[in-house]
Amino acid sequence: MSTQQTALKGTVKERAQLALNNDFLRQAVRFTTERLRSGKLKAAEEHGNWDEWRERGRQIRLHTIAHLDYYLGEFATNARENGVHVHFAATAQEAIQIGLAIAQAKEAKSAVKSKSMVTEEIHLNQALQSLGIEAIETDLGEYIIQLANEAPSHIIIPAIHKNRYQIAELLSEDAGEQLPPETSVLAGYVRKKLREKFLQADIGVTGCNFAIAETGSIVLFENEGNARMVSTVPKTQITFMGMERIIPSWADLEVMATLLPRSATGQKLTVYMSGISGPKRADDGDGPEEMHIIILDNGRSLQLGDPEFQELLNCIRCGACLNACPVYRHIGGHAYGGTYSGPIGAVLTPALKKNVAEWDDIANASSLCGACYEACPVKIPLHDMLVSLRRRKVEAGHGNALESAGMKGFAGVMSSSKVYHSTLKLGKLGQKLVVRDGGIPAKIGPLKGWNSHRIAPSIAKKLFRERYGELKAELGQQVKANAEVEQRMQQWLKGRQDGGISHE
Amino acid sequence: MSEREQDWLKQLDEQALSKQEQFLDMIAAKLKRPRVKQKPQRPFSGAPDFWQQYELSETEKLDMFQRNFEAAGGYVLHAATLQDASVLIAEKAAELKALHILRQDEEPLARLGLEQALPHVQVRCWNNDETEDWKARAAEADIGVVLADYAVAYTGSITLLSSKTKGRSVSLLPTLLFALIPRSSVVTKLGEVLKQFDELGRAELPAGIHFVSGPSRSADIENDLTIGVHGPGIVYAIIIDDII
Ligand code: SF4
Repeated sequence: MSTQQTALKGTVKERAQLALNNDFLRQAVRFTTERLRSGKLKAAEEHGNWDEWRERGRQIRLHTIAHLDYYLGEFATNARENGVHVHFAATAQEAIQIGLAIAQAKEAKSAVKSKSMVTEEIHLNQALQSLGIEAIETDLGEYIIQLANEAPSHIIIPAIHKNRYQIAELLSEDAGEQLPPETSVLAGYVRKKLREKFLQADIGVTGCNFAIAETGSIVLFENEGNARMVSTVPKTQITFMGMERIIPSWADLEVMATLLPRSATGQKLTVYMSGISGPKRADDGDGPEEMHIIILDNGRSLQLGDPEFQELLNCIRCGACLNACPVYRHIGGHAYGGTYSGPIGAVLTPALKKNVAEWDDIANASSLCGACYEACPVKIPLHDMLVSLRRRKVEAGHGNALESAGMKGFAGVMSSSKVYHSTLKLGKLGQKLVVRDGGIPAKIGPLKGWNSHRIAPSIAKKLFRERYGELKAELGQQVKANAEVEQRMQQWLKGRQDGGISHE
Repeated sequence: MSEREQDWLKQLDEQALSKQEQFLDMIAAKLKRPRVKQKPQRPFSGAPDFWQQYELSETEKLDMFQRNFEAAGGYVLHAATLQDASVLIAEKAAELKALHILRQDEEPLARLGLEQALPHVQVRCWNNDETEDWKARAAEADIGVVLADYAVAYTGSITLLSSKTKGRSVSLLPTLLFALIPRSSVVTKLGEVLKQFDELGRAELPAGIHFVSGPSRSADIENDLTIGVHGPGIVYAIIIDDII
């Protein structure tokens, strides 16, 4: 037919290269980017009646969780009717086993992934890699931190802790050539590189923002288009979903679609919202041929029937509580030492493990100011939960009299703004220390010392000062680096107010 | 799929069904009640009442769609007829020196006559030849052309439903996207489109339902906005008065 027909016979990689008429891309993209940057584009109208929306969101989530057995069953039945293979996994290990079995049956060599907190939670990438299957994160921020071998530090902006020079260095190493620290060049490199990966991959792995019970559909929110790639291009799709992601109907999705993007990024809607109802239809020209959904418990059910914590399952993972939390803003995500950071992480991490002893004292570094509750689009009383957690920890014998005294001391610190500020600084130092030591450990130095060393507050204060001095001397440079992160966070939040220029 | 693979899948499905019963029983037990097997009564569903009443006039809808779509970085053009739309697309394609265009296999898009308007550009039509590798064709396309099923004013979104003749890749892989929107398909709020999926019911839904609200974007590098990271970096919505 045409010359392009011959290209088809080339390798996938050649085809992908063909895909990039780079001059066209550069010309076309430059103009819009400039336009967006220069003018301050106000997001049109403010969205009125926010509290009514929040209340409706809460009601929908409460109802669904209260009847979770029914709705999950309905979802599974409908998804199967759509041609999906639906699996249930009680633990992370079971979910991994199912995922790996599928990957092996497909003789997969590589899997492309879109952003998914659940797969972070179960450490899917490591498991795939242990079988020699390349697992590639395709969200720009996630790709960057995967290269750095780190974990996301924010639910919505995973690479907020890296500056453009660090990113340029990581990507240059990946590219095998020096790339300048310019956003458009760096992003352009990732686009090209990942296009090849999308077209080569055997498996696409996605998370799931919402699952619609009545039609067995999954819904994904994103801005880059990588989740669409992952769910359109590879032959096999595997979707991992927390068992609480359910909503009954598409009508309910309007409420979630109103709450989630506004709370997450300040957008009216993310650039893409996709509802996927099964694998491709017989005569469709694209979409996965085979689709699996793995529904995960992994500690979530521990919250069911617990009057103090059941509402945790209402969480829609928007990250608003992180952005609102003064402590998170100061210490950064890695300090929380779990997959989920910020106020939600401080409660969710120990709750998922039903292990109050694992409740790090870094999580204790909540000022209980209630900003997280105010920000939460489904009105989860996170500050009450933090208090309950502290109480339970003491009740379970993980605290003792001295430790309670320690907590009072902690409260004292929080109320004195000067000391509070120093504590937060210490948290920052701790984070850097941790990052420098490599990996993302479960515990953090200085604030851990605050309580778990079981020392009286006066001694603690001494320790505090000593450590602070030592750390400061040792890590002077890195304090500065972390201040940068904080600044970026502020900038990001400001950008949202200015009108939707920023994103996830 | 090989027979062995099919057997294995069947086995996996059977295991999942028995696991499902345990799983759901466990949930009911935690909730301290027997399994719920009847559809629960719902005191509330969907958007709050005040919102259900919200309705804009046609001019307001078109204005609001345009404002929102442009605020997200998209472009909105107006055309009286398909002929006018064709001219807009051809001009842009010539200006940017496009080499490949891919369009959905829909009758109104055929009537754009892009093949004739752009003799030096390779214009293809989605999925009209089974031997073709359509994902690769979409990946190489500079411009994708689609016909929107709906547009939503309040969120500035275009709705695209997949089918044999409407590929998901056409709105995703090309660098630039043109979406034609019949004026009559613009609605006020998201719920008006979403409710139709409830009414259609599971069996009638397409595999892919996509809402697109502007160009693909990322601010993952130091909050510095970049567009076209994975999806199209430029998106034009052309509102057409009349596609007959
Ligand atoms: S707890 Fe609320 S604010 Fe925090 S991530 Fe979940 S839904 Fe968002």
